[in-house]
Amino acid sequence: MGTKKNGGRFPRWLTLLVATALFGASCGGSSGDGGDDAAGSGETAAEGSSDGGGAGEPGTVPGFDGTTINVGVMSALSGPAAVIGTQLAAGQQVYFDYLNSVGGVAGTYPVEIVLEDHLYDTATAVQKYGKIKDDVVVLSQVMGTPVIFALLPLLTEDGMIASPASQDAFWVQEQYLYPVIEPYQIDVINGVDYYLGAGGGSVDDTICAVIQNDLYGEAGLEGLEYAAEFYGFEIAATARYAAGDQDFTAPVTELVNAECDMVYATALPTEFGGILGTAAQTGFTPRWIAQSPAWVDELALTDLAPYLEAYVWITALGREWGDPDSVDMTTMIERVAQFKPEQEPDYYFTFGYLQAWATHQLLEEAVANGDLSREGLVAALDGLDAFEYGDLAPAFAYGPPGERNPARATTIFAVDTTKPFALGALESNVESDAAIAYEFPVGE
Amino acid sequence: MTDFLQLCFAGLSLGSRYALVALGFVVIHRATGVINFAQGSIVALGAYFTYNAHVTWGLPFVVAAILAVAGTAAVGIAVERVLLRRMTGQPVFSVIMVTIGLLFVIDQVITMIWSQNAQNLGDPWGIDTITAGGLVMATVDLWSILLAVAVVAAFYVFFRWSSTGLAMRAVAIDEEAAQARGISVRRVVATAWAIAGMVAAVAGLTLASGPAALRPSVGLIALAAFPAMILGGLDSPLGAVVGGVIIGVTQILTAGYQPSHAAFLGDDFASVTPYVVMILILMVRPYGLFGQKEVERL
Amino acid sequence: MTAPTLSRIPSWLPERDSANPRMVRDHLDAVGLWHSVWRRTGLVVGALVYLAAPMVFSDFQLSVLDYAGIAAVGAIGLNVLTGYTGQISLGHGFFLGAGAYTAAYVGGELALPLPLWLGACAAIGALVGLVIGPFALRLRGSYLAIITLGLVFIGQHIFENWDSVTGGLNGTAVSAPVALGPLDFADLSIGGAELSRDAGYFYLIWGAVAVVALLVKNLMRTRLGRAFQAVRDRDAAAEVIGVRLARTKVMSFVVSSSLAAVAGGLYGSYQRFVNPEEFGLFLSIEYVAIIVIGGIATVYGPVLGALFITAVPFLIEEWSHRIPGVATEAGESGITVFALNQALFGLLIILFLVVEPRGLAALWLRIRVYFQAWPFSY
Repeated sequence: MGTKKNGGRFPRWLTLLVATALFGASCGGSSGDGGDDAAGSGETAAEGSSDGGGAGEPGTVPGFDGTTINVGVMSALSGPAAVIGTQLAAGQQVYFDYLNSVGGVAGTYPVEIVLEDHLYDTATAVQKYGKIKDDVVVLSQVMGTPVIFALLPLLTEDGMIASPASQDAFWVQEQYLYPVIEPYQIDVINGVDYYLGAGGGSVDDTICAVIQNDLYGEAGLEGLEYAAEFYGFEIAATARYAAGDQDFTAPVTELVNAECDMVYATALPTEFGGILGTAAQTGFTPRWIAQSPAWVDELALTDLAPYLEAYVWITALGREWGDPDSVDMTTMIERVAQFKPEQEPDYYFTFGYLQAWATHQLLEEAVANGDLSREGLVAALDGLDAFEYGDLAPAFAYGPPGERNPARATTIFAVDTTKPFALGALESNVESDAAIAYEFPVGE
Repeated sequence: MTDFLQLCFAGLSLGSRYALVALGFVVIHRATGVINFAQGSIVALGAYFTYNAHVTWGLPFVVAAILAVAGTAAVGIAVERVLLRRMTGQPVFSVIMVTIGLLFVIDQVITMIWSQNAQNLGDPWGIDTITAGGLVMATVDLWSILLAVAVVAAFYVFFRWSSTGLAMRAVAIDEEAAQARGISVRRVVATAWAIAGMVAAVAGLTLASGPAALRPSVGLIALAAFPAMILGGLDSPLGAVVGGVIIGVTQILTAGYQPSHAAFLGDDFASVTPYVVMILILMVRPYGLFGQKEVERL
Repeated sequence: MTAPTLSRIPSWLPERDSANPRMVRDHLDAVGLWHSVWRRTGLVVGALVYLAAPMVFSDFQLSVLDYAGIAAVGAIGLNVLTGYTGQISLGHGFFLGAGAYTAAYVGGELALPLPLWLGACAAIGALVGLVIGPFALRLRGSYLAIITLGLVFIGQHIFENWDSVTGGLNGTAVSAPVALGPLDFADLSIGGAELSRDAGYFYLIWGAVAVVALLVKNLMRTRLGRAFQAVRDRDAAAEVIGVRLARTKVMSFVVSSSLAAVAGGLYGSYQRFVNPEEFGLFLSIEYVAIIVIGGIATVYGPVLGALFITAVPFLIEEWSHRIPGVATEAGESGITVFALNQALFGLLIILFLVVEPRGLAALWLRIRVYFQAWPFSY
């Protein structure tokens, strides 16, 4: 793909000298012979690709050399968000390690992860995307809402598809994104449903929300507003706080004054701990239900543990870590033991694992079609009926944008310090009528 | 009304924590004319020292706290000896940037040693509360207020009656004259850094106690303590406390009432109130409430 | 610039002495930009690198260079305020943000062409500087540093809440066109060969760096530029010799924030997406670090600093597997690349200020002096 001219204007040694001066050794691999190899610009690279075409064996394309399929994983592997990012990436690694141990996609093509650390920073992510886009067939994981927003125009332009590791609803019907689990809204609706049913609550209770002042908080509130309309209750109070706040008297006072019986929290662990601490001190004891990102098991190590066990539920995907009733959870635990024995229980790990599983299904379809090019993958995605995860999580119906239908199931956990990750499932994969009726916006 | 008082109490306790951080700024500024941007990191370091001595080594909390205070004082002295002494005579800008550089280094040292994960400080206060007249007061909040008051009182006594304190005041007023009278400016500056380190440890342990978890980000509070210090005037310990309380109470009351009464100011206006209050006051009094006007020599 | 005409040289001076071409003879010689052999050589080399770089570097390396160029424009702007006028600012991130959102609105929403939206960025930046500048008049040193720090937080609050323009917390896509007449930098082709977007932007961004650098270099030779420096060196003395302090300081803010906004506009247009979180305190500190490390009050200092600060994290990452004790795999023990980079960032700031306060630019100066004085170098 001679998309770039070789510098014929002045001696090559001079350009090399300058390159070396500016970039040190990093240029060694790519700049010396970089201009004219496969690393051309996006679109052309994808177009001139399907030379093997047709049904048989997939032809070589950027990211696939005829034997190994490269997939990209972009997460925060260092910095403050790494607590989550490394778990997400570890889930992918274990899944693909297992897959390769049985031969790879279609039993023939092993999968290799191209791992990039984007630090949860948009500028870094854009640069790293440019670095790997011509070395991978698909991005099996892109962590973080702001990062995905930043990459979306690039993905669309390059025709590259990516799986967001973020439970926002924005991407459900995006052509170039393939979310693999239910959005936050679904978790809230199912949480409310459980509260009103098995949880012993009623629509006459005072139901409130406390949300972080950002997109994540808004997504939680959206779900609660929908549930309010569906079940016919009012949201008595919506308290807001900002990430990094030190004192939570104001939001807690608002909730206390509204005399809330149930509070749905869309928060993050540091602030959630602060809110619960303030509430416990005030003697405020509603039923707290919180989104999965609000939880880390360190919270259960504090003096708050008895309060947490009595009043806090968490809504999240999947199953209790190590649930013996689930065949696929048991399999996952076995694979963890085999490929990453030091792995701690964590639901972000499960998220990454499910994501890799979905990517595997996508690649199977593409290989069956004999086309691993970017267009081939889009076609494979549109041609899929669903991503299926056995009994680990419910299926996510697929197809072209507009026909996709996320899973509507959520697992309700109670805090239980004796369990792995300090969470014990109250009910696995609750699938409420309200959640089933929820409609996602079709992408612009 | 109870709500209002409850919010005021919360503001007071937050303000006392701001004040403890701001006092560290003030001591150093008085002696050297420099704002130490790394103070927040030393605050975090103090909290982690306490955690290490109490949880990891299993020492009693009070002993751990005393060790932490000594530890951060040593860090303060070391920073002054190794870095800041070399910067004597350099422009304010350069010195500020050195402390900013230090902030990045200390923050990463903390995450290297104690990781990014949240820890429990294991303080004796936990989530205990005292109720008086319908007002629920967390023990840890009461202790924060008490500690802030105690530290200011100690400052007053120290600067008023101890010879080192007097020497520090003399240096603050006129360095050359003080030197001519045989006061060692170096010793004064080193003492200032040690005191700032000690106050930082106290601030750190009040910030990480109670329901709050200990994280490397605990030092970020320094960003909101800047306005507290500026508000009071850079050189006045009393000003730091008054500034801290003003900022704390305003912030909490804003968080309590702004969303329902002044929604047009935007979501989460409370988190920028410290800066808004600071700018408003500086427009009226460019050297803060208690600060001294710099006299310019031509 | 034009060579000095002989007629301007006083008649009692002999004609140019070819034995000593470096000798400065008159004012025009002293202020001339391209009179020394060094500068002329530098100009030629720079131009050649500029033309050849997109053919030598990979897209990834070009994108690093593109971000470095954007940072250079912004840092040259900050240098006007901090380096030349001596006013500390931790609020540069806000000005960059103002530019980026202007590009999003004027270039994206209104879909105006490149010269217009970039001009709008400069204008809005200047306007913001004009509003903020007067606040700084009564404040100095530490007070000014904290006030500008407050500006960053208030700015972020505005970016987060002014949804109709900024997209609020979601951030906003920036689709500002970068065509200059028939020349579309996002889709350049030279002699039939297509250049990547990163390569096209390289030409645009580094072209802007050159223009801005020349502009500032020239500005510093005017009355206003000298007033800036007089204020920095001793504001009271400057006032005595007739510099209008208030106007000079405000003008410095105007020029500085205008350039920052241009950088912000380029940033938004190149990245195609911006959100409020990006324009925080860290960005401001990064810009101060760039000028400190590059060299305060020089024109090429910020450029060197920007290249250095932008490229170092990627070099560290590239080499991380060879540095002992650095974790390169997820979950591996040891210091992470991020932690190493952050700590190194801090250390570099400290080291430069303590050891070489004149920054990278001075290292260059030393090398030059060494060769100029050769064989009598010491």
